[in-house]
Amino acid sequence: MTVELATRLIDVLGALLLFTMLVILASGQLFRAIYAVALQAVFLGIAGAVLAAATGNPDLWVIAGITIVVKAFVLPWLLIRVVRTVQISREIEPAIPMTLTLIAASGIVVLAFHLNASLGPVRQTITGNALPVGVTLILIGVLVMASRRKALVQMVGLFASENGIFFTAMAISQGMPLIIEIGVILDVVLGALVMGILVLRVRSSVDTDIADLESLKG
Amino acid sequence: MTSNLLWLAPLVPFAAGLAMLLVRDRRALAALDVGSSLAVLALAAAIARRVAVSGPVSALGVFRADDLAVLFLLLVGLLAVAVAIATVGWMRQELARGQMRKDRLRWYFALVHGFIATMVVTVLADNLGILWIAMEGTTITSALLVGFHGDKHGLEAAWKYIIVTTIGISFGLFGTVLVYGAAVAAHGEVFAGAMNWSSIAAIAHKLDPGIIRIGFIFVVVGYGTKAGLAPVHMWLPDAHSQAPTPVSALLSGALIKCALLGIIRFHTIARGACGPEFSGGLLLLFGIMSVVVATPFIIVQHDIKRLLGYHSVEHVGIVALGLGFGGRLGTYGALLHVINHGVTKALVFLVAGDAIGRYGTRDMRVIKGYLGVAPFAGTLLLMGAFSLAGTPPFSIFVSELIILRAGLAAGRYASVAIFLLMVVVIFAGLILHVGQMAFGTAEATVDRQREARSPLLGMLLLSSVMVLLGLSIPASLDRLLARATEIVLG
Repeated sequence: MTVELATRLIDVLGALLLFTMLVILASGQLFRAIYAVALQAVFLGIAGAVLAAATGNPDLWVIAGITIVVKAFVLPWLLIRVVRTVQISREIEPAIPMTLTLIAASGIVVLAFHLNASLGPVRQTITGNALPVGVTLILIGVLVMASRRKALVQMVGLFASENGIFFTAMAISQGMPLIIEIGVILDVVLGALVMGILVLRVRSSVDTDIADLESLKG
Repeated sequence: MTSNLLWLAPLVPFAAGLAMLLVRDRRALAALDVGSSLAVLALAAAIARRVAVSGPVSALGVFRADDLAVLFLLLVGLLAVAVAIATVGWMRQELARGQMRKDRLRWYFALVHGFIATMVVTVLADNLGILWIAMEGTTITSALLVGFHGDKHGLEAAWKYIIVTTIGISFGLFGTVLVYGAAVAAHGEVFAGAMNWSSIAAIAHKLDPGIIRIGFIFVVVGYGTKAGLAPVHMWLPDAHSQAPTPVSALLSGALIKCALLGIIRFHTIARGACGPEFSGGLLLLFGIMSVVVATPFIIVQHDIKRLLGYHSVEHVGIVALGLGFGGRLGTYGALLHVINHGVTKALVFLVAGDAIGRYGTRDMRVIKGYLGVAPFAGTLLLMGAFSLAGTPPFSIFVSELIILRAGLAAGRYASVAIFLLMVVVIFAGLILHVGQMAFGTAEATVDRQREARSPLLGMLLLSSVMVLLGLSIPASLDRLLARATEIVLG
């Protein structure tokens, strides 16, 4: 695969990642957000495969495979299981009006691409627009987490944010060392498990959403 | 030989943690706890000796011990030992009061040792990716400990803790990726150890300053969340106050210092790539914000453990100020402050835990006459509080004075003025709160049983270090700090 083609494909995939991110941000339904983050992980895995073919780095094939298995199947499955167990309402009530969050999101996109334009020669080592797309995903993920008082949606925002980091990491100088990527993914899975445990424990004792507790103040 | 020590230091607590899962007896668990913590401290001392004699030691590019890492490793080891000793008696009381379930005891001890093992890895990591993985590992193990009691407040605090710090340090991962990308770009191709701090710091002057600036901002926000720098500190008072007392002592005393070490490592790289003004200025800004934001919450606080939590925000801010003022003096003061605050804060958390157990409340308006109820712990509370407030002859006074002098030398008069004002206000607030707790007469319902020996022993260990460091800094520690300062300055 030529470098030009890889760059073009990465830019297309970056656009698809951004699109799924906006779907997550705007979704008023829990399952839709979970499916969107799973789809996002599939695009991320394809991006890994494209970069693997373009650079000839075999580690990236492994990373792409792990990404699809863990982030597109295992984590969404875990989320759906938690939703089914606790039977929380599946509507998402935003704490901040949706229009405002969408305006903030478009501000983030502009800012990230502006930031990228100001960078020097180091841009050569990053394929396509991976850096601004990564920054955008991270920040919009935080926006999702901050604007929703629902534990499961906050977890979806977190995973989407991490997808942004992985995307940039893959596109920078042929990805991080394989062993580090595996360690990071392991952390993501363990973290998600612990979060799931906490959500279930709160459900079984006080019957509210853990993200809705706010007795600790001041 | 020495590189084996680097592998052993995290492996010992990890193996001890696994072994604990098979044990059900409280005494056996406590013995394992103290034994493994002593082993960590002994290994830290052995590594420190070796590094002092023959310079930095590296193990396969994964771990590396230099004087800076040794300083933090000794702190983690010392606190692990003191807290393990104090836990023996504390756990007996918790079981007697029905606060802890006997069948879940082994999980508690195993998690604590998993927590210690991950902290040791963060300190020794040379590979910045390993540093990040271990840092997230500390969150995962300690979040379960924060919510260990399973009550509503504890679970709420645990949720805030894990969700805020996980998203926070994912910023740190992004910053790490950018710095790694810059290193590879500067070198022209991927090279062995491209992710290692030692090799990146060596070529820091060749890195692209633009990308390092963005990377460092992400790192400071990321690891700063974990360290409790304002304005990303909001989880800290909740988690540190709701955790079981020994865990609070480790969180406030050791963990936030490990996160600071992460920032310091990137600070060195950023200094090399973009000069001292950028990263120093950013740390100065976060430092001032932390000190200012913590002050009003300390003044109006009624919950003793939340008070100590906010107080940690202030002190992390002071360390950041020291690093931000920069120069040999500021950096030396910041590193000394890391040790002083770690030791003192762990001590005061242990005392506070005892008081909460006796009075059955965390409300400082209800805790009265503690000095009469528990004369030894009460005395240590007063000493610890005066030290935290920055009174001579205690250790924190010394490091705060050094940081102030560094600020004046750097001509940062406005920052120094704000810092001084806040320290004075916090002094008044803290002494007022603690004075009300220590003096007066306790109500008749308060638990007046004789003080248990093991918590006192743990507290005495910490308070003797605190007093010693206030009176004079031993020559060996002074040399260690001086060498660590050179490493930070690059």
